[in-house]
Amino acid sequence: MESVTFTLNGVPRTVAVEPGLMLLDVLRDVLHLTGTKRGCDNGTCGACTVVVNGKAVKSCTFPLAKADGAEITTIEGLAQGEHLHPVQQALVDAGAIQCGFCTPGIVMDLYALFETQPDAPQQKIDNVLNRHLCRCTGYETIAEAAHLAQERIKETK
Amino acid sequence: MEGKYVGQAVTRIDARSKVTGQALYPGDFVMEGMLYMKLLFAGRPHARVLRVDTEKAESLPGVVAVFTSRDVPFNEYGLQYPDQPVLVGPPGDPEAARQLVGGGIGRDEVRFVGDQIAAVVAESEEIAAQAVDLIAVEYEDLPVLSDPRDSLKPDAPQLHPKYPGVSYHPELVFEGNIASRHRIRRGDVDAAFAQAAVVVESEYEIPGQEHIFLQPEAGVGYVDDEGRVTVITSGQWAHEDRHQVAHALGLEEEQVRIIYPAIGGAFGGKEDLSVHIVLALAAWKLHRPVKLVWSRTESIIGHHKRHHVFARARWAAAADGTLLAAENYVIADAGGYVYTTNKVMGNLLLTCNGPYKIPNVKTDVLGVYTNNIPGGAFRGFGAPQGNFIAEAQMNKLAEALGMDPVELRLLNVVQGDDPMPWGKPLPDDARGLVDTLIAAAKAVGWQQTEQGWQAPACAPRPGDPPTLKRGVGLALGVKNVGFSFGYQENAWAAIELRGGREIEAAVVYAASSDVGQGTRTVIRQMAAEALNLPLELVTLEPTDTGITESSGSCSASRMTFMIGNAIKGAAEAALQKWADEDRPARAEYTYLAPKTTPIDRETGYGDPNFSYGYVTVATQIAVDTLTGQLYFPKMACANDVGQAINPRLLTGQIEGGVIQGLGWATTEHFIEKDGYPLTKTLSTYLVPTIVDIPDELEAIVIENPEPHGPWGARGMGEMPLIPVAAAVQAALHHAVGLWYDAFPFTTERVLRGLKLKE
Repeated sequence: MESVTFTLNGVPRTVAVEPGLMLLDVLRDVLHLTGTKRGCDNGTCGACTVVVNGKAVKSCTFPLAKADGAEITTIEGLAQGEHLHPVQQALVDAGAIQCGFCTPGIVMDLYALFETQPDAPQQKIDNVLNRHLCRCTGYETIAEAAHLAQERIKETK
Repeated sequence: MEGKYVGQAVTRIDARSKVTGQALYPGDFVMEGMLYMKLLFAGRPHARVLRVDTEKAESLPGVVAVFTSRDVPFNEYGLQYPDQPVLVGPPGDPEAARQLVGGGIGRDEVRFVGDQIAAVVAESEEIAAQAVDLIAVEYEDLPVLSDPRDSLKPDAPQLHPKYPGVSYHPELVFEGNIASRHRIRRGDVDAAFAQAAVVVESEYEIPGQEHIFLQPEAGVGYVDDEGRVTVITSGQWAHEDRHQVAHALGLEEEQVRIIYPAIGGAFGGKEDLSVHIVLALAAWKLHRPVKLVWSRTESIIGHHKRHHVFARARWAAAADGTLLAAENYVIADAGGYVYTTNKVMGNLLLTCNGPYKIPNVKTDVLGVYTNNIPGGAFRGFGAPQGNFIAEAQMNKLAEALGMDPVELRLLNVVQGDDPMPWGKPLPDDARGLVDTLIAAAKAVGWQQTEQGWQAPACAPRPGDPPTLKRGVGLALGVKNVGFSFGYQENAWAAIELRGGREIEAAVVYAASSDVGQGTRTVIRQMAAEALNLPLELVTLEPTDTGITESSGSCSASRMTFMIGNAIKGAAEAALQKWADEDRPARAEYTYLAPKTTPIDRETGYGDPNFSYGYVTVATQIAVDTLTGQLYFPKMACANDVGQAINPRLLTGQIEGGVIQGLGWATTEHFIEKDGYPLTKTLSTYLVPTIVDIPDELEAIVIENPEPHGPWGARGMGEMPLIPVAAAVQAALHHAVGLWYDAFPFTTERVLRGLKLKE
């Protein structure tokens, strides 16, 4: 068994699991935090994106061992009660949600970006969104949501 | 007709739950004492299963059960025709097997790589996966048919026994490897060709397409507290799923329950069953909850694709551009099983001559068995393939005649009582054909001049490298809304009004699958409108066969149209009961759409549909002739939606549909070789990302009310995808002077064409 300790959405957690698991396996199957989605198994679709030590990572290819001592934020840890994070609120307001399966990954990636770079240039935003597959929206509204979120975050900083 | 809620961009009912990760999808459910399933897929395209040895797998610690063909009470299923075994292998009960269609012959035969052989249930997914590897299957490999044209050869092996067919699907002929056959015979094409000024003859290869809904197939099966075997899963028509599960398990439908939670996309790809029957079987036999989640690769192997189509087309026009004749011969790859091939081919038949006045028409459409992954439903349902044939022919005729493609269409498009090739006019005034054509054309630069409509000159722009060529192109589309060919379309809804003096709550029951399009939001809006109640008072019960009757399939762009009418009926009846002082006041209503008829097997004549959608896509293109890369500075999609119920959700459908069509046209190349799929991951099957979309995508909403639609709404979910590929082909031709008659227009294909031209 492999014992790994990390802070998950502000709460210290220790898990003892079979070695070799990926972070996504533990989030979904051990801790039952199912907001993080599995859309593929090879880091292509982006649905499994979470934030580890301030950086967006694809949890389906992120070995659990690397999470030891880390601070992890998942989609479940973003809203403050009824109050959505500006990135979440922007996706709602821009109508950027259809089936919603890609949504948590996109939220987490934009969250990590604007936490560190609220002034991120367009190219940077495009690079982030380019890591995510959405089959429903055609991306127009997601791009709008990213702009909206950035504006609102800059206003509050 | 706008109202307080109809026509308003109300926020999705599920926006908050989806953006916070709280929405539960089929793979997210965890139940007390839950077991895990893994499937053994055949992994080979054509073979007889001689023996399945599960002994080693069963003896692995943690394995609870291994199910094979011997355990399936009634080992057959299929949305249109039950020609597929649930689990392939020798029968358990030979007497039961003889009752299957075709006398149960060939149920031990694998017909494509995704056929399922065994289902392992274990205490963990890892153990189940290990046990799958311990199953020993003895196969006798059989010759593989991987091209439907080969399947038609006289010496080709026959992949299925001669099935008896059914009276309500007369097109399912089961002649050799021909599963379905459709035809139109109108006038005399040969005489027309003899006197035509211009004839355009082409061969097209139209590719398949993989859905890549983001949520792979998953579900949980269990026995509920009323003893019903229950499956929480994704699908597009809960009651039809229930019907097929009950049939395979030999149960009454009331003993089976299907629940749809949040669904991560479908696009037609969840019309046919995937995990449903095996989960129900295991839960029923073990009386414990069982979960199954497919990987992306299992999903790609395990569900059907858009049909890969080969077509020959010969069309003729007079010197003034008047269409004289159209002759189309179409062979579609049905793959290993029927799925929805027969109805997809029906739609292909109705769309492959376009919405044009053509006095002489000869069309043959064959759905042909092979050992490829089955062809089936995918947004557009045969119309995208039919549209490509018709619109490529029209664009080529325009070139041959020296006419503008808008002018050629305006000259020939049906209006008023003009009959379609099946002998009947479109059921409404079909103004959307011309309206969408003009709107989309204008959006990308077409102008009306004294000589008529003219495409923009696509001169190089400042800064363009000399290798960059620009062009524009367009295509006009039409497709039915709702089920066709004599099926009595119906949808059920119920409304319960609660309160005392005032209505305090309205609870809506409807079995509509929210695959992401937002149907549950729209249902709530329409109910609030029909009841004249504040939106906050209206709630919607889950899609659950245990508490609803059938509202029909979330397909054929039909749900808003059908359920909207059902809600209007239920609201009216519930309000009457409320006035009569019933408390609570509950009313049910089943809406029946206008009747349609089958089409004649020999001539194609009939009245197959009660409503249609109209759409045009026009695009600018920039082609880098050095790399073969395509860019889209601007694309426009004009869609006649009758009445937008929720403009924001509707625009989302247009944008998403166009980009899905653009993927089909450009980057998505589903490759199968000798019956084996080669593009089994998201890194080899390339769906568009944000860098692949047009710089500007204009969604143009046109609202010509649909006479039978609720508040004038007409179906629209599939329409935006339909004309994209033909519009891109035309723009590509405009830019580089080449007709690419096979797609996707990948950089490799574009470059190859340019090299050949040199």
